[in-house]
This record gives sequence, C-alpha cells and structure tokens, in this order.
Amino acid sequence: MQHPDRLHLQAYFDGEVDAVAAAGIEQHMQQCGQCRSVVQDFDSTRTALRERLSDYRASDTLRAKLSGALDREPRSPSTFASGNPTLAGDTARARWLGWQFWIGGLTGGGLGAAAAALFAFMIWIPRSDPVAGDLLSAHMRSLMSAHSIDVLSTDRHTVKPWFAGHADVSPEVADFEAQGYKLIGGRADYLEHQRAAVTVYQHGAHTVDVFSWAAGARALPKDVTLDGYHLACWTARDLDYCAVSDTGWDELHGLERLLQDLSARDTP
Amino acid sequence: MPHLDAAYRFARWLARTAEDADDLVQDAILRAYRGFDGLRGSNVKAWLLTIVRNCHATSIRQRLRVSTTPLPDEDEAQDGYALVAEGPGPEGATLQADERRSLDLVMQSLPHEYREILILREIEDMDYRQIAQVTGVPMGTVMSRLARARAALKKLWLQQHEDSARAAP
Repeated sequence: MQHPDRLHLQAYFDGEVDAVAAAGIEQHMQQCGQCRSVVQDFDSTRTALRERLSDYRASDTLRAKLSGALDREPRSPSTFASGNPTLAGDTARARWLGWQFWIGGLTGGGLGAAAAALFAFMIWIPRSDPVAGDLLSAHMRSLMSAHSIDVLSTDRHTVKPWFAGHADVSPEVADFEAQGYKLIGGRADYLEHQRAAVTVYQHGAHTVDVFSWAAGARALPKDVTLDGYHLACWTARDLDYCAVSDTGWDELHGLERLLQDLSARDTP
Repeated sequence: MPHLDAAYRFARWLARTAEDADDLVQDAILRAYRGFDGLRGSNVKAWLLTIVRNCHATSIRQRLRVSTTPLPDEDEAQDGYALVAEGPGPEGATLQADERRSLDLVMQSLPHEYREILILREIEDMDYRQIAQVTGVPMGTVMSRLARARAALKKLWLQQHEDSARAAP
C-alpha cells in the first residue's frame, strides 16, 4: 500500500473514515513508522490541548445574568412554540426538570414557561435513553478500534450464515448497493445480555451499523440523535433493530425502509 | 447541560477577555432563545456555537466601525508580555500552571482561524461536518485548515520549549 496522504491520515485519526479504510490504514501503519509518527504527532497535539489548555467555564455571575435576561424576555416566543413539533411533548418534562438544570444550580424562582421552553429546546435530544446510549457506544467503539467488522463480505450468503455461528439472532441481511447501501460485512456485539448481530453497510462516506437482537428486553427509543449520530429503531419479526450512523435522517430511514420491506416480504 | 460551558469556552477563545466572552455568550443565548437563528441540523451544540461565532463577527465589525478601542490582537500582545515578563514562581505546583499558561500563549498567538478550529475539534470534539457548519466553510477547507492548524501549533509549541530550555540556566 502506498502512503496515505496527510489529510487521509488525519481523517483516520479523527475517526472520519469508514471501517474498511481505517483497517487499511492500520495495516499500513504496522509496517510504516513514518505514518505512525504522523498520527502520533496528531495525538500528542490533542493530548496537550486537552490536558494543558486552560479550561474556561461560565461564571456564576454570568449564569445569574443570563437567567435574569431570559426572565425578562417575552414568554412563549412564536418560533419556539410553532417551529418544532417535538417541543410540545417535551415541555412538561422540561418544566419538571427545570430551567436551573441547564443554567446550572440556580434557584429557579420566577423562571416560568419561557425558560422551560428554551430548556426544552436545548434538550429535545433525549440524551438519557439507556438503550440508545449503549447502541451509540457500541457504534463508536467499533469505529475507534480495529474491531469494526468480523466477517468482511458483500455477499449476504456469507454474512448471514456467519451470524448463525456467532450471534443469537438471525437478522435480515441484504446488499442494497443499487439503492446506495453497500453491504460490507458483519460483526457480533454484546447487547441486552445477548450476542447481538451487527450488519455493516456503507453509504457514501458513512458507515451504518444495523444492530439487531431478540425483541422485548427494553423499550426501544424512537428516532433519536446523540452526539451528532442518528439512531433509527424498529421491530420486525421478533427482532429489535437499530440503525446507527452519522448520515442524515433521510438516508438512515431509507435503509430502514429497505430492511422493513424485506422483513414484510419474508413473513409468511 | 454542557452547552453553556461549551458556548462560554468557545467565546472565551474568540473574544480573549472574560468580560467580552460574558457579553458574547449573553448575546448568543438571547439570540438563540428569540429564535433569530433557526436550528439547522440536529446538533444543538454546533448550532449554539455557530451563533456565538456570528455574534462575535458582528461585534468585531461594530467595534471597527464605531470606536478606536484597541483590537483584540493588540490586547493579546500586551497580555502576552505581561505573562511572559512574570518571574518564575516556586517550583512544583506552579510548574504545571506555567505549562498551562504557555500552551494558552501559543494558542493565542495562532491565527484566529487556526485557534477556532483547534478548539472545535480537540476541545469540543466536533466532527468535520459540525465544524464546517460552525465555521461556514466547506469540509475540504475544514480538513486542510485543521492540518495546517495542527502543524502550526506543534511548531510554535516546540519553539517555545526550545526557548524556555535556552532561558533556563
């Protein structure tokens, strides 16, 4: 393999290349001290910044000033009320959690609906769903390590039987290259106290992990976004599925539809 | 919610003084609240930092127009001298503080675009797409700028280490 160029190495270091490309670079680096040291340089820059740079935090004075300023704002601004359908449902929860949680340890006296609305706006990404958190962690772990694919194959007739020996479930697997979702392989992961199957697709520059496990352990989240990653979950034929990626929603739902159609077709 | 601290950190590295950063964050939060800048994309932190950045750009433009107060660049130079001119403190506890300060100084001496992209990537842990959103440049520019910023930081950092090694008896 030729030396990957600097930007490519950097993209690898930043976790911006897909699993296959990452595996290629890792393989190359095993023999190439030059590329290894480039990546080590990136790493020492990052470590220095994260460990030694002054960490600035918003002062209590600023927090107090902010809460005062927001309190003076007219209530229920129209953009917030009408702009986002997810807001309404979250308002009750936001009220319950309270604005001071966001601002951090203030007494929330006099902070009414307006603050709650902003709070809802800032947290309408539900960060706390444990299933979603586990799935995202599994996805990130696979992207960070060399362990992204156990069985590297674009052939469903290779991937599906592989799951039979390595996972507790046998999910829908198909190559949707024509539709833009290229099957690149599968791996096993441990999730919900069972050996879950992970089918790995490539969509453009993005890797999509489709996790599947026996349904019913915990309630599945609906579509959620965590740390910039989208998670689309569904249940089909006694299996829970969750597709995780940093692609857009449309792309993720596209793959979900294809797999759902496949399950529907296979149902007798 | 970590976003307020993220907004503040980013503001602090853009504005450089604590007072300016306070004003900037307050500006940005109110703007976000009033919905002047509708949420684009799904990442709230990236969206909030975009607003912080826009507010900063606006305040710089206004300052240039209406007043003759020294620009942040000049402030930075003075801060830099003040910090460098300070004598060495007792060994031990201050050593770490010195190191921290010296990396701060290196960061402050970097061009604005480099400083900003390093904060977004290394401190805020944003991916290229989010950085492109916040800084308003294409992904390709994000990648090349980030590479240049890392190289510049490393060079200055090594230089400073050499300087301090020479200065030491």
